[in-house]
Amino acid sequence: MFAQRAAQQSLRRLAASNPQASQLVFKQFAAPAVMGASIQTRPVATQKMTPTDSYEILVAQRKLRPIAPHLTIYRPQVTWYLSALNRITGSVLSGGMYLFGTAYLVSPLLGWHLDSASMAAAFASWGIVAKVLTKFTIAMPFTFHCINGLRHLTWDTGKAFTNKSVIQTGWAAVGLSVASALYLAIL
Amino acid sequence: MASIVRPNVLRQTCAAASKRAFSASATPGFPAVKSAPSIAARPALRSAFVKNAIPSSMRVAAFHASGRKAILPALPQTIDGTANDAAKVPESHPSHGSYHWTFERLIAAGLVPLTVAPFAAGSLNPMTDAILCGAVLIHSHIGFQALIIDYLPEWRVPKSRKLFMWGLNLATVMVGVGLYEFETNDVGVTEAIKKIWTA
Amino acid sequence: MSAIRNTARLFRPSTLRSIQARSFASVVPETKTSTVPEPAKDADSQIKTFHIYRWNPDEPASKPRMQSYTLDLKKTGPMMLDALIRIKNEVDPTLTFRRSCREGICGSCAMNIDGVNTLACLCRIPTDTKQETKIYPLPHTYVVKDIVPDLTQFYKQYKSIKPYLRRDTPSPNGKEYLQSKEERKKLDGLYECILCACCSTSCPSYWWNSEEYLGPAVLMQSYRWLADSRDEKKEERKAALDNSMSLYRCHTILNCSRTCPKGLNPGLAIAEIKKEMAF
Repeated sequence: MFAQRAAQQSLRRLAASNPQASQLVFKQFAAPAVMGASIQTRPVATQKMTPTDSYEILVAQRKLRPIAPHLTIYRPQVTWYLSALNRITGSVLSGGMYLFGTAYLVSPLLGWHLDSASMAAAFASWGIVAKVLTKFTIAMPFTFHCINGLRHLTWDTGKAFTNKSVIQTGWAAVGLSVASALYLAIL
Repeated sequence: MASIVRPNVLRQTCAAASKRAFSASATPGFPAVKSAPSIAARPALRSAFVKNAIPSSMRVAAFHASGRKAILPALPQTIDGTANDAAKVPESHPSHGSYHWTFERLIAAGLVPLTVAPFAAGSLNPMTDAILCGAVLIHSHIGFQALIIDYLPEWRVPKSRKLFMWGLNLATVMVGVGLYEFETNDVGVTEAIKKIWTA
Repeated sequence: MSAIRNTARLFRPSTLRSIQARSFASVVPETKTSTVPEPAKDADSQIKTFHIYRWNPDEPASKPRMQSYTLDLKKTGPMMLDALIRIKNEVDPTLTFRRSCREGICGSCAMNIDGVNTLACLCRIPTDTKQETKIYPLPHTYVVKDIVPDLTQFYKQYKSIKPYLRRDTPSPNGKEYLQSKEERKKLDGLYECILCACCSTSCPSYWWNSEEYLGPAVLMQSYRWLADSRDEKKEERKAALDNSMSLYRCHTILNCSRTCPKGLNPGLAIAEIKKEMAF
């Protein structure tokens, strides 16, 4: 016990005074004794470094990191798909309204007829299929945005937050909006 | 201990890879890396007999998901301060925060009866029609603002952010005037939609 | 005096060649080296394919790629983490992932499995072998290596909400801050969060604005302190959230509540904050 400790201490002292010598000692005596004949050299290098230097390395490494894939790999779920749809339908509807508003404002300058009577007359001249299809494409975002908007308003009161009710109301909103859009399309 | 074990594991995988070279079966033996482990891909191991086995069992696909056409792709990672510093807490701006949120919800909630009313009553009187128009306009404006705030971060694209915000303000004013013109010169929005819809 | 131990060199081509040279020089019989018995003999083996995202920081120029592994489910534990550990132990030791407790309390093994963020240790491997499993790091995080994401920003944001009891008045009895049973009950469903970042990295809003938006996990912890009857800095806490980015980038998408591997409801917590701040 004592002999072991003494040997350890002398090794340590040797290492402190002369690091190269300690490596020599390790290679010559300690290593073969521990590992036997099939010694493996592991090219592991250590390097002295200040905290600032190692921080710089980290900063440089961070810059090389890729971003993990997101939109493309996340599973399609009612939650985020309907939220995205809510935003898209809202943008489409509002975008349409903005386009019409601006067009109506500049129509006298450009000689367009955007008053309700001429638009109704123009629309009336369309074929029935084109009419129904157009009405459906307009009604669908409208009904969806309205009905899904009700879901969002419910959540803002802190209700219906369980996974089950989120999924159920989500599919209900899809069903209701399709049905009501179809109804509006054939009006 | 681990340092001693690891080369052994490597050797095993090498052995597994080279062994597979001899098996003709399509489903590789177990445990099997379908794509060759990184060591096997090294030229040293690609001796003549291994070469045939690797392509059939290799399935490494280059990864394209993070978008070649991304509009604002994620920037290289930078961290402000050290890992032990807290993230910066922004200044308090209730008009962009809680007041804004409450106002947005009130408008949205107000739109519910305003949207139902024309369906129930057939059409609206000019006053209610104008209120509906205004509410929808504000709702749209806030919605577009949310888009800009979400997708054009101020810290990243301050100029585009400003441009889009002012562009939106301008557009909203123009549309507001346009709708005012429509309301005053024409039959009103709900009535007009009804007319066109049933045309 | 910080030193870097460059283990990466072990995998450099020259090193590998020397390792291989050695291993070829003294080939150990197959029966002794392979810890897994030959599967071809099993008639009822259940082979499942795992596609795993790989990226090695030692080769920063190369793009991330998907690597496929096949495992016999009959010889693998029931959870995804078992499969990963098995791959690392027996197939490919270079595969890198975080794990610790293997029972859903440390939050280390959070990753995106089959398109959903979850803890690998709580996620069963679907026994349907026709379905191939895909494993990615947490979405829209910076990848340190393979499926190890960098969560520094997440932790910094957590620190920014001051997640500890803040009060000026000493306790009435001079010993402890008492709470009624009802007051304590308000913290249920909030304090259990293990900060695995599954919810935050499932949130599209957080994907686009993680610089400024706090994200569901941190906001739920924010509410955990807002809801605590002993905390006296509620107004300060609310003021810190009262801007357009920190809290109000939440658009109730609810991916957070859907994905939480602990069954918590960050979406509801955020709604409660918004309600408290509204009027």
